Amino acid sequence: MANEAVTTEQYNYDIVRSFTIMTIVWGVLGMLVGVYIASELAWPFMNFDIAAITFGRLRPVHTTLVVFGFGGSALFATSYYVVQRTCQVRLWGTGLAKFTFWGWQLSVGLAAISYMMGYTQAREYAEMVWPIDLLIAVTWVSYLVVFVMTLVNRSQPHIYVANWFFISFILATALLHIFNNMAVPVSMFSLESYSLHAGVQDAMTQWWYGHNAVGFFLTAAFLGMMYYFIPKHVGRPIYSYRLSIIHFWALIFLYMWVGAHHLHWTALPDWTSTLAATFSIMLLLPSWGGMINGIMTLSGAWDRLRSDPVVRFMIVSLSFYGMSTFEGPLMSLKSVNALSHYTDWTVGHVHSGALGWVAMITFGSLYHLIPRLWGTKMYSEKMIFAHFWLATIGIVLYISALWVAGIGQGLMLRAFDEYGNLAYTFIESVSFLHTPYVVRTIGGLFFLTGMIIMAYNVFMTIRKGRVEGAALDAKLAAKLANA
Amino acid sequence: MSSEKTNQTVQTTGHTWDGDLQEFNNPLPNWWLWTFYATVIFAVIYWIFFPAFPIGNSYTKGVMNDITYKNADGVENTTHWNTRSLFMKEMQDAREMQKPYIDKISKASYAQIAKDKDQSAFAYSTAKVLFADNCAPCHQTGGAGVMGLYPNLVDDAWLWGGSYQNIETTIRAGHVGFMPGFKGNLSAVQIDNVAEYVLSLSGEKVNVANAAKGQAIFEGAGGCFACHTKAGTGQIAMGAPNLTDKIWTIVDVQAAPGLAEKKAVVKSVIDKGVSRDMPGWQGRLSDADIKMLTYYVHQLGGGT
Amino acid sequence: MKHETIETNAGWLIFLTLIVISIGGLVEIVPLYFIDDTVETVKVDGKDAVRPYTPLELRGRDIYQREGCYTCHSQMIRPFRDEALRYGHYSLAAESQFDHPFQWGSKRTGPDLARVGKKYSNQWHVQHMKAPRSVVPESIMPNYPWLLTNKLNYKDIENRLRALKMVGVPYSITEAEYEANVDRYGKATAELLDINKATRNLEAQAQSGNYDGNRDDITEMDAMIAYLQVLGTMVDFKKFEDGYFTKFR
Ligand code: HEC
Ligand code: HEC
Ligand code: HEC
Ligand code: HEM
Ligand code: HEM
Ligand SMILES: [Ca+2]
Ligand SMILES: [Ca+2]
Ligand SMILES: [Cu+2]
Repeated sequence: MANEAVTTEQYNYDIVRSFTIMTIVWGVLGMLVGVYIASELAWPFMNFDIAAITFGRLRPVHTTLVVFGFGGSALFATSYYVVQRTCQVRLWGTGLAKFTFWGWQLSVGLAAISYMMGYTQAREYAEMVWPIDLLIAVTWVSYLVVFVMTLVNRSQPHIYVANWFFISFILATALLHIFNNMAVPVSMFSLESYSLHAGVQDAMTQWWYGHNAVGFFLTAAFLGMMYYFIPKHVGRPIYSYRLSIIHFWALIFLYMWVGAHHLHWTALPDWTSTLAATFSIMLLLPSWGGMINGIMTLSGAWDRLRSDPVVRFMIVSLSFYGMSTFEGPLMSLKSVNALSHYTDWTVGHVHSGALGWVAMITFGSLYHLIPRLWGTKMYSEKMIFAHFWLATIGIVLYISALWVAGIGQGLMLRAFDEYGNLAYTFIESVSFLHTPYVVRTIGGLFFLTGMIIMAYNVFMTIRKGRVEGAALDAKLAAKLANA
Repeated sequence: MSSEKTNQTVQTTGHTWDGDLQEFNNPLPNWWLWTFYATVIFAVIYWIFFPAFPIGNSYTKGVMNDITYKNADGVENTTHWNTRSLFMKEMQDAREMQKPYIDKISKASYAQIAKDKDQSAFAYSTAKVLFADNCAPCHQTGGAGVMGLYPNLVDDAWLWGGSYQNIETTIRAGHVGFMPGFKGNLSAVQIDNVAEYVLSLSGEKVNVANAAKGQAIFEGAGGCFACHTKAGTGQIAMGAPNLTDKIWTIVDVQAAPGLAEKKAVVKSVIDKGVSRDMPGWQGRLSDADIKMLTYYVHQLGGGT
Repeated sequence: MKHETIETNAGWLIFLTLIVISIGGLVEIVPLYFIDDTVETVKVDGKDAVRPYTPLELRGRDIYQREGCYTCHSQMIRPFRDEALRYGHYSLAAESQFDHPFQWGSKRTGPDLARVGKKYSNQWHVQHMKAPRSVVPESIMPNYPWLLTNKLNYKDIENRLRALKMVGVPYSITEAEYEANVDRYGKATAELLDINKATRNLEAQAQSGNYDGNRDDITEMDAMIAYLQVLGTMVDFKKFEDGYFTKFR
C-alpha cells in the first residue's frame, strides 16, 4: 500500500477513521441498551429498582445512542469521506473537523449519562438538556462550515448528488434543532429548563422536529450515503440523473409538512392533520425515487449477490427503505393511524426503517469503507456473511412480532362486544403483548450479536492493517537501505 | 422496469467524480411519474373536502362533507367535517343502539334486572369491563382484593353491607374505612390481651384468662365495642367488620401459622389502626353504569 | 433556471434548500398561534377553568418527566368511543395550555393518564408507584420505591415559577399580576399562583393533602401524587353543553 501515504496527505482520513470507530462503539452500546429495554418490557423485574436503568430513563439513552451516536457518527464519517472524494479536495479545516468529532462524541456521551441521572427535557429525540443543546448547536454549525467550505474548494465543477442530500440534512437539522430546543433555564446553574412553547403549539413544533429527525437525519442523509457507496461499490453509474433531481427537491420540500401525522386525532386542529396526511401520501413516490435509483444501479450486478456480502447489505437496506416508506404513508392516513398510533405498530415501523434501512446501509457502506481507510482487506469475509444473516433474521423477528403486537393491541382496544360495550380491558392487552415482546427481544439479540461480530471483525481488520503497514514500511526501509 | 438495454442506449451525463462515479440520464419511469401525479390529485381532492389550509385567523373547512349529529341532550347540529363532530356521531349511534337496554335497566329494579335474561346479560357485559378498568386495580380482576389493602368482594362478608342499596351507596359515594390506632392509649399488655380476645371470637384456641381480661377492655376502656359491637359482629354503618367470622380483610390471620404469629398480626392492627379510602364514582360514571356495576358486584359476592 | 446552475454553485444550492425546507413549518406552526379556535375557550361562571399547576403539582410534573413516565404513558384522549369509555372525555388543547413541554406522548405501553386524577386514592398511588405488581399483577411498569424515600427538593421553586412566567404562564409577582389572576381564576386560585408565596403554598398543600400518607416530611411521592391527582380534573364537562367543543374544530 505504497499510495496510502499519498491519499492520507490528499484527503483527511483521520477524521473519517475516528468517526467510523465511534459508529461501531455507539452501535454496540446503543443496541445493547435496546435489547435491555426490550427485555424490561418482557420481564419487568429487569428494572431492578435501580433508578438509572428503569425503562423510562433508559429508553432515551437507547434512541440517542443509536440515532445520534451510531447513525450520527456514521453520517459524519461517510459525509466527510464522500465530500472529499467527490470534490477531489482535502477536507477544509482539519482542526474544526476534529472539533466536530469531540463535540459530537461529548454531546452523545453526556446526553446518555444525563438521562440516566434524570436530566431530560422530555422531548423525544431532543431530550438533551439546554447546555448540551448549546454544545450540539456549536458542533453542528462547525460541521456546516467544514462541509460547505470543502464544497466551495472543490476541484470539480459539479456538486455530486450525494452532497445535495448531505447539505440539506445539515441545514435542516440546524433549523430544527434550534427552533425545537428553545427554552428558559430554571437558573444559570440549573440543568433544567421549561420549553418556550406549550401544549398544542409545542406538540406541533416537537413533531415538526421529530419527524424530520427521521426525514433528514435517518433518511435524506442516509440517501446521501447510498448515492455514493452503491454506485462506487458495484462500479456502475447512477441509474437516472433526472430522477435524482426530481426526487431530491420533492423529498426535502414535502418532508417538512408531515410532522403532524404524529398527532392525528389529538387536540391539534384538523386542518394541520389533513396537511400532514396528504403530504405524507405525496411523499411516497419521491421517497421511492431513491430506492429506484439505488436498485436500478445495483441491477447490473445481481451476480455479485452470491459472492459479495456488501451487495447483500445494500439490496436489503433498499428493500426495507422501500417498505418503511410505504408503511409510513399508510400509517399517515387518519383511519389507519387511529389504530396504529400509540401502539407497537409504530415501534415496528421505526425499526424496519432503523434496522432495515439505516443500520443495513451503514453496515454495507462501512464494509466498503473500512478496508480503504486502513489499507487492507476485511479480516474475515465469513463474519460479514454471518453478520448479514444475523441482522436479517433479527429484523424479521423484530418487526413481525411488533406487527402482531401493534395491530393486535390496536384491534383489542377498539373491539366492542355484541352489546356495544368494550370487549377487552387495557390490562388484557398488556398481557397479550408479553409473547411478542419476548420475540422482539430475541430478534434484538440476533441483531446485536451481528453488530458485535462486526465490531470484532473491524477490530481485527484495523490490527491487521497496522501490522501490514508496519511490515510494508520495514520492507521499504530495507529496500532503501540496500539500494 | 427498464432493462439493461435502456441503460446501454442512454448516455451518461458526462460528469465523472472520484475516478469512476457517473450518472446515466434515464428518463423518469412512467409508472413512477403517473403514480406521483395520482397522489397529488388525491391530495388536492382531499383538501377540497376536509379542513386543510390556514388563511388569516381561520382555515378552509372543506365543502360538501357536513356531519349532522344529535347530542346527548337531543339537540341536532350540523358542522363541517371535523374529528369532534365525527365523535359526536359515533357516540350518538352507540347511544341509539344501547338505548333500549339502558332505558329498561334505568327503570327496572335490581330484582327485575336479575330475572330478565336480556337485561342481566347487558348489565354484565357493561359492568365486566367497567370493573376491570376502574375497580380491578384495587379489588383485582376477579374481585378477590388484596389482603390488608383492598377488601375481597367475592366472599359474602361485607364491611358496608351487601344489599344492592348498600353496594350502590358504596360505589356512588365511596367510603373511608377508619379505625384509630390504640398504641399509647392502651398498654402493650392490654393490647396483647385484647388481641387474644379478638382471636377467641372466631374460635381460635387462646389463653382463656388473658382473653377474659381482653374482653373487659374490648367492651369497656378500649372502646372497641363502639364500632364492632359488644358481640364483635361489626356494624355496617361504620364499615366495622365482623370479628366473629373467620374472614379477615386487614390482617391475614388464617395465613399465620401459630398463635404467637396470629396474635402478632392482630396486635399490629390494634396498634396502628386502619385508614383506607374507597373512591366515589358518582362524577366519573353515569347512573346507569353505577347501577350495572352494583348488579355485577352484588353477583360476585352472592350478596343479600 | 437550469439545474446545472444549482449544482455547480454551492451558494445557490444552500439558498434554495433553505427556502424549500422552510415553507412547511411556516404554514403549519405559525398559524397555530393566530387562529383563535386553536385553544378552546373554557370558562365556568366567567372564570377560566384551566389553571397553571400549583408549586407542588409542578414539582411532581418535573419528576414525572425525570423518570420518563411519558415513554409509556400518553396524556391525550382521542375522540373515539373506546377511549371515551376507557378514559373519559377527549382531551382539549386548552387542558395542556400550560404544559411546558406538552406530555401527549407517542406510545401507550401503559394506559392514558390524561384523566387519572381523582380516579384512585392517594394510598393506591403510593402502593402502585412503590410496587405496581402488588396491586396489578399483570403490570409491566417499573417500581419507583425511591419516590417515597427521596425528600422533595423545592429550594428553587421560585426560580421555576419565574422561568415559567417568562414563557407565558400566568404566575404572579406584582400586585397587579395578582389582581389579574383574581379576575381570571378567582381569589383562591390566584393565591396559589403567587410566586411570593410559592414555598408556603407548596408546604401547605403537602400538609393538607398528605399524599404519601406521612405528614412529617415532604417527599417526591407527595409531589408526584399531587400531580397525578390533578390530571384531567380542571374542566368539569357537565358544565358544558354536550358537543360545545366541536365548534372549535
Ligand atoms: C383506590 C382503590 C379502590 C378502587 C379503585 C375501588 N375500590 Fe372499592 N374499596 C376500596 C377500599 C380500600 C375499600 C374498603 C373501604 C373500607 O375499608 O371500608 C373498598 C370497598 C368496596 C366495597 C365495599 C366492600 C364491603 O365489604 O362492604 C365495594 C362494594 C367496592 N369497594 C366496590 C368497588 C367498585 C365497584 C369499584 C369500581 C367502580 C371500586 N370498588 C374501586 C378501594 C378501591
Ligand atoms: C372507630 C371505630 C372502631 C373502633 C373504636 C375499633 N375498630 Fe376495629 N375496625 C374498625 C373498622 C372500620 C375496621 C375495618 C377497616 C377497613 O376495613 O378499612 C376495623 C378492623 C379491625 C380488625 C381487622 C379485621 C379484619 O378483618 O382484618 C380488627 C382485628 C379490629 N378492628 C379490632 C379492633 C379492636 C381490638 C378494637 C379496640 C381496641 C377496635 N378494633 C376498635 C373500626 C373500629
Ligand atoms: C415500562 C412502562 C411504564 C413506565 C416507565 C411507567 N408506567 Fe405507569 N403503567 C404502565 C402499565 C403497563 C400500566 C398498567 C398496569 C398498572 O396499572 O400498573 C401502568 C399504570 C399506571 C397508572 C394507573 C393508570 C390507570 O388508570 O390505571 C399510573 C397512575 C401510572 N402508571 C403512573 C406512572 C408514573 C407516574 C410513571 C413514572 C414515574 C410511570 N407510570 C411509568 C407502564 C409504565
Ligand atoms: C438491537 C437492536 C434494537 C433493539 C432490540 C431495539 C429495541 C427498542 C425498544 C425496546 C424500544 C422502545 C419501544 C417502546 O417504547 O415500546 C426502541 C425504541 C426506538 N429505537 Fe430501537 N432497538 C434496536 C435498534 C435500534 C436502532 C439501530 C435504531 C436506529 C438507528 C433504533 C431506533 C429506535 C427509535 C427511534 C426508537 C423510538 C421509537 C418510538 O418512539 O416510537 N433502534 N428500540
Ligand atoms: C415516506 C416516509 C415515511 C412516512 C410518511 C412515515 C410516517 C410515519 C408515521 C405515520 C408514523 C407514526 C406516528 C404515530 O402514529 O405516532 C411514523 C413513526 C416513525 N417513523 Fe416513519 N414514516 C416514513 C419513513 C420512515 C423511515 C424511513 C424511518 C427510518 C428510520 C422512519 C422512522 C420513524 C420513527 C423513528 C417513528 C417514531 C416516532 C415516535 O413516535 O417517536 N419513518 N412514521
Ligand atoms: Ca434538547
Ligand atoms: Ca409526606
Ligand atoms: Cu413522521
